[in-house]
Amino acid sequence: MNSKELVKKAFKIEEVHRIPWVPFVGCHAGKLLGLTATEYLQSKENIIKGIDKAIKLYRADGIPVVFDLQIEAEAMGCKLNWVDDNPPAVISHPLAEGKELKDISIPDINDGRIKMVMETAAELRRQHPDIALYGLITGPFTLALHLLGTDIFMKLMMEPDYVHELMQFTTKVCQFMADEYIKTGVDVVAIVDPMTSQIDPGSFEEFVQPYANEVFESIRNQSVLSSFFVCGNAKQNIEAMCDCKPDNISIDENIPLDYVRDVSLAKGVSFGGNIQLTVSLLMGTEEECQRDALTCMDIGGKKGFLLAPGCDIPMDTPVKNMQAVAELVHDELRQGELRASEAVQKEVEPLDLTDHWQDDKVVVDVVTLNAKSCAACQYMLKAAEVACEPYGSKVICREYNILTQEGVRMMATLGVRNLPTLVIEGNKEFISHIPPINEIQAKIEEYMNKKGVR
Amino acid sequence: MEILKQIAECVEFGKINEKSPYPPNMKGRLGADELVKQALEEGVDADTILKKGLIVGMEIVGVKFRENKVFVPQVLMSAKAMTAGMTHLRPYFNSGEVQRKGKFILGTVEGDLHDIGKNLVGMMLEGNGYEVIDLGTDVKSGQFIEALEANPGSLVGLSALLTTTMRNMEKIVAEIKKMNPEQKVFVGGAPVSQEYCDKINADFYSPDPQGVIERANMLMGA
Ligand code: B12
Repeated sequence: MNSKELVKKAFKIEEVHRIPWVPFVGCHAGKLLGLTATEYLQSKENIIKGIDKAIKLYRADGIPVVFDLQIEAEAMGCKLNWVDDNPPAVISHPLAEGKELKDISIPDINDGRIKMVMETAAELRRQHPDIALYGLITGPFTLALHLLGTDIFMKLMMEPDYVHELMQFTTKVCQFMADEYIKTGVDVVAIVDPMTSQIDPGSFEEFVQPYANEVFESIRNQSVLSSFFVCGNAKQNIEAMCDCKPDNISIDENIPLDYVRDVSLAKGVSFGGNIQLTVSLLMGTEEECQRDALTCMDIGGKKGFLLAPGCDIPMDTPVKNMQAVAELVHDELRQGELRASEAVQKEVEPLDLTDHWQDDKVVVDVVTLNAKSCAACQYMLKAAEVACEPYGSKVICREYNILTQEGVRMMATLGVRNLPTLVIEGNKEFISHIPPINEIQAKIEEYMNKKGVR
Repeated sequence: MEILKQIAECVEFGKINEKSPYPPNMKGRLGADELVKQALEEGVDADTILKKGLIVGMEIVGVKFRENKVFVPQVLMSAKAMTAGMTHLRPYFNSGEVQRKGKFILGTVEGDLHDIGKNLVGMMLEGNGYEVIDLGTDVKSGQFIEALEANPGSLVGLSALLTTTMRNMEKIVAEIKKMNPEQKVFVGGAPVSQEYCDKINADFYSPDPQGVIERANMLMGA
């Protein structure tokens, strides 16, 4: 199954063999090319090169075409402040500076960078037919903030009719952008509306939900998948976000992933997230990034979950940190090892092994990850079974799989750190690599002699 | 006193004046604007109105915001109601009849334009009896230092929302401390943490305005 199919399956909440990984690479791809954010985000050629590089370096299953929430605003006359190390910022708000709503029109493909972005999407589509491409559009509320400035918060209370009018307008802009992206052949259209993290559920339901709903419905009618991204702590609105009926929601590191999982899956919406951008990806070590990602994967599970950073990754994120996450995603053995060492660190309650050991028998314990994803584990177990067989009931051979709670506790109790490990009478005799059968038997006999087992 | 309780409620729920349609369930009732004026006319002294009325309301808002019971729009409405009431008290501040707790200089650091959080912190400080000197956004170390020199004894707070501009904080804190090693510096904003605050040698971090107020009150002995 290719990456695109994997992403689509996760969106549809079907079981997957591996959790799909969608690195939200925005202007960070500029850094991969040694360019500033400005040079990167203004050039079709650069974005195509940068995303291609990110897909390869980070073994992405899905990726956004461009992560820049200023594209629509720019095309509608907001001034941007361009900088080297971040996406540009909107610094003028036409509706707060004398213009009226009727003076502003829905952008045309030729306005601002819209055409460049759509051509980029189309070209990336040609080059990467097997990767899930995400077309990102500025959400209606965030776009309304760009046009009006922070007065919008007061206006929610004081002039609700005006805000509704504005939202109807920005929703049309979203529709336009969604349609343009769909023409380029993207697989997912994502509405990114970070400003909604700042409002209460009542305001969300009144001023955002009906409009977001409209856009998602139109995307659905064109048989394209949709996602709702909200960066920032939007915990209060997760339910309402799902009620907008996107296929997927993607959320920020501030929100507990298990909470999101429970709410979204109950509503039939898949979910994604939420590796920490700053603490892990930007400033953490490779191992910290892997641990964070693993925690997300273990909470997320293989049905309806996509692994992703909490939001657009900081430009300076070290390449090796993103690669560490990519490695983890593709390497189930590494996942098992990390899980196991975590269990050891967390001091899980040890098992009481008094009845485990027996005076007249030799006990062989094989600690494994499930056989499917860890080929070595399967061979180790097989080798142990074959080696023990001739001794009949005098040798007890058991498998402890760390996907079970008992397995994890056994691993911790025996002090095992790598998988697979073969333990004889409590001693870690063979670690990670699989010994020849006669070596295992030689060890077993050593213990039999010591204990006087005949 | 009943009127002080009503004033506090207006701030808590963001009732600016009689005309304001918000909150819907207080429609037609008097707002902070009218009630403060009325209280002054009834002879309640300005200091009492501030401390037993307006501030009481704002304190509740601070706690509710910390607990995610209200969000930015509601806090802004409360701040508006507070300001409407304060307008009537202004003459008494100037005459010295009402004592402020102290001065607080605030700014979003160089390169950063985010000001929603900083403004909330400012409004809450004001609502809790501080005089706030707001230097705005994209504020360079020189501007902070000028303001500190012009207002000795003030507290100062830096806000940053970007991981890139967060680094400018370090520089600004160092410059401020170079000027006056005793100067207490608050830092905040979403990517900032207690760890980062310690690392850059700033004095206080808080994830929300309520924490700033609690610390400031301790420092000012208020
Ligand atoms: C609103 C917003 C904007 C608005 C700002 C409008 C304005 N007038 O402020 C606009 C659209 C202009 C904008 C622009 C940009 N933004 Co912006 N923005 C946000 C957003 C959605 C909310 C921030 C906010 O206001 N939060 C609400 C307030 C109440 O919270 P707060 O600021 O944290 O403040 C609280 C506390 O931190 C504390 N506090 C704040 N200041 C202080 C100070 C002291 C002394 C203390 C003690 C406490 C304290 O108290 C406050 C109240 O509780 C966040 C994402 C999110 N959802 O969080 C992104 C976000 C901050 N922006 C981001 C980015 C990248 C940008 C841009 C570079 C590009 C862009 N648009 O995407 C530009 C940069 C502009 C610039 N040079 O500064 C990123 C930052 C990533 C990073 N960590 O570096 C974020 C996190 C989004 C993301 N994940 O991509 N943004």
